[in-house]
Amino acid sequence: MAETAVTTPTVTSVARPRLSARAWVGTLLRLLVAVGIAIVFLLPVLWMLSISFKPPTEWLEYPPTLIPKEPLIGNYTFLFNPGNPEGAIAVMTGAAEPVMPAFINSLIIAPVATVFSVIIGFLAAYAVSRFRVGGNFMPFFTLTTRMFPPVAFAVPLLVYYSAVIPSVIPGLRLYDTRLGLILMYIAFTVAFALWMTKGFIDGVPRHIEEAAILDGASRWRVLFTITLPLVRGGLAATTLFIFILTWTEFLFALIFTQRYAITVPVQVSHYAGAIGRFYGPQAALGILASLPVVIAGYLIQRHLVTGFTFGLIRE
Amino acid sequence: MANIALSSPGQRLSRWINQEHVFKLILVAPLQVLMWAILIVPTLLVIYLSLVRWEPILGDWTQAPFNWFGNYVKVLTDPRFWEVLGRTLVIVFFAVSLEFLLGFALALFFSQDRLPGKRLFTSIILYPMMLPWVVVGFTFYLLFLDRGPVNYVLIQLLGPGAAQPWFKEPPLAIGTIILADVWQWTPFMFLILYSGLGALPREPVEAAMTLGATRWQIFRLITLPMLKPVIIIALVIRALECFKIFDLVYIMTGGGPGTSTESLSLFIYRTGFVYGQLSLAAAMAVLLLISIAVVTRFAIRPLEYREEV
Repeated sequence: MAETAVTTPTVTSVARPRLSARAWVGTLLRLLVAVGIAIVFLLPVLWMLSISFKPPTEWLEYPPTLIPKEPLIGNYTFLFNPGNPEGAIAVMTGAAEPVMPAFINSLIIAPVATVFSVIIGFLAAYAVSRFRVGGNFMPFFTLTTRMFPPVAFAVPLLVYYSAVIPSVIPGLRLYDTRLGLILMYIAFTVAFALWMTKGFIDGVPRHIEEAAILDGASRWRVLFTITLPLVRGGLAATTLFIFILTWTEFLFALIFTQRYAITVPVQVSHYAGAIGRFYGPQAALGILASLPVVIAGYLIQRHLVTGFTFGLIRE
Repeated sequence: MANIALSSPGQRLSRWINQEHVFKLILVAPLQVLMWAILIVPTLLVIYLSLVRWEPILGDWTQAPFNWFGNYVKVLTDPRFWEVLGRTLVIVFFAVSLEFLLGFALALFFSQDRLPGKRLFTSIILYPMMLPWVVVGFTFYLLFLDRGPVNYVLIQLLGPGAAQPWFKEPPLAIGTIILADVWQWTPFMFLILYSGLGALPREPVEAAMTLGATRWQIFRLITLPMLKPVIIIALVIRALECFKIFDLVYIMTGGGPGTSTESLSLFIYRTGFVYGQLSLAAAMAVLLLISIAVVTRFAIRPLEYREEV
C-alpha cells in the first residue's frame, strides 16, 4: 500500500510548459537538497545493513566502505545457529545466544497483546464516544499510562508479580512468562487503542446507528453489524500501530523477563552488550528486529501521527 | 406480566444484556478491570513501598518496618538524584528543541511547490520513528565507534586530530545520545508540522502577499500563529516521551563512563532492580508520578481546549 503521509497541494501542470531556465535550476537545487536529506536519514541504517553483510575483517576496516567487498549472509545464519558458525565469524563466538526463542516470544507476545488491547480499547472507546461513559476522567486516566515513565510502574509491578499475585492466586506465574508481559502490554497500550479508535468511531455519523435502532435492532447488533464494519480500516491501522509499540517495548521486557520470556529488543540488548568485536551478527540482529515494525509502519503511514499523538492531531 | 413469565432464560438474558446500562457496563468493564489490576493496585502498592524500609533480600515485604518519609528525605538529599534529574532535563531540552527546529525546517522545505518526488522523500524520512529504540541506539553506537565512520569522516575533513573518543567523554557521550534521539524523532515533528502546514487555509497568506508582506512577515504573523495549537501538542508529547529516555542510554553508554550519562529512568532502574533498593526506587517513582501529574495538568490544558473545539 503506497499511501503517502499527507496530501499536498500538487503543482498545477498548467505552469509547467512555461518554466524558465531559472525555475529549472531552482527545482534541480531543491531536488539535490531533498536527496541530501533523504541520505542523512538513510545512512545510519544503511551502515548497519552494510556491516550485517560484512565478514569480520571488514567490520572496522579503514577506510570504511558502504558496499561490502565480500558480502556474506553468515552473520544472519549465525544468529540462528551460533553453535555452528560459518567461516571467519567462528573466531568471535563469545557470548552469543541463539535468537530464535526471542523471536518466537515476540511473535506471540506482541500480536496477542495487540489484539486484546485493540478489542478492549475499541469497546471502551465506543462507550466514551457514544455515551461519554466515565466523563473526562476515564480517557484522561488512561493517558497517564503513557505520560508517566514506565520505570515508575515497574517498581510496584515487580512486587505485584513476584509476591502479591502468587499469594493470591497460587500457581499463576507472571514473572518471566509470556502471559505476564502480555497483560502488561495490554494495560500500557490500551490508552493508544482507546484514543485512536475513538477518533474513527466519532467519524461514524450517529444517525446511521439511530436509524437501525428505530428499525428495532439491538445495541449489540448495531455495534457489531453497523459500526464495526465502518471502522474496520481504522481498527486495522490501530492494530498495526499497537503492534509497533508492543514489538519495540524494552524496559518492561528487560525487568520482567530473565530467561524464558525474553523478547527481541532484550535480545538486541544482550547482543549489543556482549564484550568484544561482534558487530556483524549484532547488526544482522538489529536489521531483523526492525523489519516487522518498519513494514507495519509503512502500511499505516497516514495514521502514524494520529497514533503518536493519541488522536489529538488527525489527518 | 404474562409474556415475561413465559420467556425462556435465553430471552431473559438477551433482554438483560440489551438494557442500555448493562450495555455500557460491558463495554467498559474489561478496561476497568485492567486499570484496577495493573495500574491502580500497583500505584497504591508503590506508595506503601515508598513508606517502608524494604529490600527483596530482607524477606517478606509485608513485614517490612515503616520508615515513613525517610526514603523521600534520602532521595531528595542525594546529590546524585538532582544531578540525574538535571541531566535528563538537559537531554530533553536539547533533543526536543533540535527536533522541533529541524522538523520545522524540513516541513517548510517539503511544503514548497515544484519539488518532484515529494511523496517519496517524505516517506523515506519517516522510517526512523518506527524502529525499535534499542536498534536506533545500537545503530548510533556503530556510527560513533572509535574506528567508526563518523571519526573517519572527521579525520578526512579536519585532519588526524579530529577523531573523538565519543563514548569515553561524558559531554560527547550525552551529545551522541541526543543526536540519536534527534535522528529518530525529528521525523515525528516533521510529519506533524508538514501536515499542519498542508492543512492551513491559503487565503490569509494570499491576502497578505497582495498587501505586500514579506515572506518573513507572513511566516511570523500568519503561519506561526495558525500552527500554534499543533506545535504545542507536538512539543508537549515529545517532551514527555523524551523525559522517559531509557533504551538509548542503556544501549549506547549503559550510563557510563561511570554514571556520568545516566538518565532518570536508568537511575531508578539501577537503584531498584540492580541494587535492589526497591523502597528508594519507590520513593523516586512516587515523586516522579506527582511531579509529572502536576506538569501535565498544566501542559494538557491547551490540549483539552482544542478537543472541545
